[in-house]
Amino acid sequence: MKKLLAVLLALILMAPAIAMAEDKAANTAKEFVVFLDKNSRENHFIPSGWMGDYGDIKMNDQSADSPRSGISSIQFVYSAKKSQNQGWAGVYWQNPANNWGNKKGGFDLTGMTKLTFWARGAKGGEIIQKVMVGGIKGTYPDTVSVEMGPLELTNTWKQYTVNLVGKDLSYVNGGFGWATTADLNPDGATFYIDDIKFEVDPNLKPQGRVQQAMPFYVYADRSSIANHFIPSGWMGDYGDIKYDGSSKEDAYLGDTCIKIVYNGKATQGARWAGIFWQNPANNWGSVDAGFDLSKAAKLTFWARGAKGGERIEEFKVGGIMGEFSDSDSASIGPVILNKEWTQYTIDLKGKDMSYIIGGFVWAANVDNNPEGATFYLDEIKYE
Amino acid sequence: MRLNTNKVARDGSQTEANLSPKRGHFSFVLRTVPILFLLILSACQPKPGVYIQRLKNQHYRLIVNGSPYIVKGVCYNPIPIGANHEYDWWSDPNKPWLADGKLMKHMGINTVRIYQPPANPEAGKKVIRDLYKLYGIRTLMGDWLGFWEYPCPFYGDKKFQDKVKKQVIEMVNIYKDEPGILGWILGNENNYSCLGHVNPWSSPEIDQQPDPQKQKALRARIYYSFVNELSKEIHKIDTLHPVGLGNGELLGLDSADKYAPDVDFVACIIYRGRTFGNLFKSIRATFDKPVLLSEFGADCYDAYLRREDQDMQAFFLQSQWGQIYENLANNKKGAGNCIGGTLFEWTDEWWKYNPDNPQEWSLHNTESGWSNGSYYFDIRAEGNKNMNEEWFGIVALSPELENGLNKRLPRKAYYVIREFWKHPALKKALPKKSSQGG
Repeated sequence: MKKLLAVLLALILMAPAIAMAEDKAANTAKEFVVFLDKNSRENHFIPSGWMGDYGDIKMNDQSADSPRSGISSIQFVYSAKKSQNQGWAGVYWQNPANNWGNKKGGFDLTGMTKLTFWARGAKGGEIIQKVMVGGIKGTYPDTVSVEMGPLELTNTWKQYTVNLVGKDLSYVNGGFGWATTADLNPDGATFYIDDIKFEVDPNLKPQGRVQQAMPFYVYADRSSIANHFIPSGWMGDYGDIKYDGSSKEDAYLGDTCIKIVYNGKATQGARWAGIFWQNPANNWGSVDAGFDLSKAAKLTFWARGAKGGERIEEFKVGGIMGEFSDSDSASIGPVILNKEWTQYTIDLKGKDMSYIIGGFVWAANVDNNPEGATFYLDEIKYE
Repeated sequence: MRLNTNKVARDGSQTEANLSPKRGHFSFVLRTVPILFLLILSACQPKPGVYIQRLKNQHYRLIVNGSPYIVKGVCYNPIPIGANHEYDWWSDPNKPWLADGKLMKHMGINTVRIYQPPANPEAGKKVIRDLYKLYGIRTLMGDWLGFWEYPCPFYGDKKFQDKVKKQVIEMVNIYKDEPGILGWILGNENNYSCLGHVNPWSSPEIDQQPDPQKQKALRARIYYSFVNELSKEIHKIDTLHPVGLGNGELLGLDSADKYAPDVDFVACIIYRGRTFGNLFKSIRATFDKPVLLSEFGADCYDAYLRREDQDMQAFFLQSQWGQIYENLANNKKGAGNCIGGTLFEWTDEWWKYNPDNPQEWSLHNTESGWSNGSYYFDIRAEGNKNMNEEWFGIVALSPELENGLNKRLPRKAYYVIREFWKHPALKKALPKKSSQGG
């Protein structure tokens, strides 16, 4: 008995040392596993952080259906039923489980330069809106936040790489995560993920900002992988707005368009309202993200009013001000809409479009729309 | 036929020059050299007054009495605690500009921007002279161009234009010979009225136009044409000082390019937080004039934590001045079109939150009036309102009196900018802003 107690005591005393050794190992090892197989001893993070419409997600963490390696992979079935009325869902791998930054955990992964993982869709064509490394906030926030996406999966295994060169990986609790939306997968999606790990690649160079090729869509169609901004920035009397990103009422092109109903009731007392399309969602300049759209000479979009005569005060690109502000802005307006689809252009010649997080915005007010306004938008793109 | 060029005296006798060629030469030289010398000397004399110089590399710089001049300035409106904007500080027997001028000189300020001259020209001249003679501080004098007249500024109305023009010309005539005058600034964000954001106005011509976009363009044409006319009138009577256009942000400058070619510089009012973004390059592309940042800065009240934060203000101002210096002439890194700035502002103004309630003029209000995400440290304040109008001074006012004036308490930004001006190390990393209060 005494011997057993002594061993236990020794183990308790050694636990911090073991943990420290593991932390150090993270600094010197050539790879650091997030997740291999369910019962692998090398796993360091747990797929515990279910987000958004978590009721839409089913996870089988020992799917034997053609794993990439080992004996299993993780299967996710996303139903897109919007169980929690969010329209999106996702999962974070955390350490310890369910750590949303409220407790000390995570690892010092300094020295790692990339995260790799394998993924495939059950049919092919499933869209993961983004994958994340870090980005969990809270009292103990991750020191890194990198996102990559959207990814259109194939029905065979494919490896993906998130470049982490130059990133501060000194505290990583959210080792990996994915998120997607019902709009991108209206019929749901079944996909598999395997072999997620951080790696050292001395030949990898820092990822510079890529000048995006044109045309570059803000909105093409509700499920389009080409959509690059999210209509998340609701402003002014946001309670006056109804947004439908998949309206089938006479879309200009494709099968859907955007329908906006602004009732002009001044719910928040502002007497105006508007929506910013942002990257990532809800980025008011606090997240270093967005796109380099330097090749764009103009932004075009199609619009029509339900009745004709609806007055939109401003259509604009850029102009979000924050720690990471848009590099420029340009606008047209006021615009009085026609009942028929009409194309409008925002001229971007001479503008600095090298850093754009606010891809598009409209704003209208009560004074010029006392009865409110219903209008439609489609094919919003940089050219 | 060859002409005889020998000079002959009227009486027919040959002149001395012809009689003795060598002596004639000598005499010619004697007479010509001093004239040439004087001509060369005068050519070498600096051109008097204040003007903009466009360099070979297309950069701009301000020249004052022959020397390059970087405007290191502040907006100056020393309203004491307990008074509002109607207070005539020019006639204050305690002469606040003397105490302020001394502090300004100590900091390195060389210019004050004043929005409007006083009703009493002698009082105005006295202040300008004192600041210049005692402390070497020059004055940029402005005029509101009737922007706040009730019910709105009718820039399309000839009578209104004539009234404003008369007032402006009167100002120039009164002050143009003051050695302390650096230049004129016409308006302050008046361009926002063209968009209908502030003090919207119209005219019969505009009313006839059904397209609201064209209405905006018409207003811009009318307004900037009027400013141009004022600028030309000023140049007629005062060739020694440049004229600036007090423009809010960059809005309307494409119209200014068409209709206001006679203004000498853009006096830009801009609140973009840590950086000015692409402002300098953008002005190059739209309205290629030198830029004076005539209003910029940061307040020093953290609306989220609800406490004074001098570090926050100093952080933003140091970063902003760094950008100003990067864009001065002959700095390869920038656009080369900046001539300096007048930061907003010298002292706090305690009347601003509620200008109509005298009881509040003695309270240092901490309520925020508007939101600006570029000042991101306190953007999480309620309703995102983080801008505190009464806390923009780089010098705080104390209710305690000193020589009849509210005691001046320089804030951290005062010292940080003073050091920056002494050693404008552009590449030096900014200190990380800590969150401690002031």
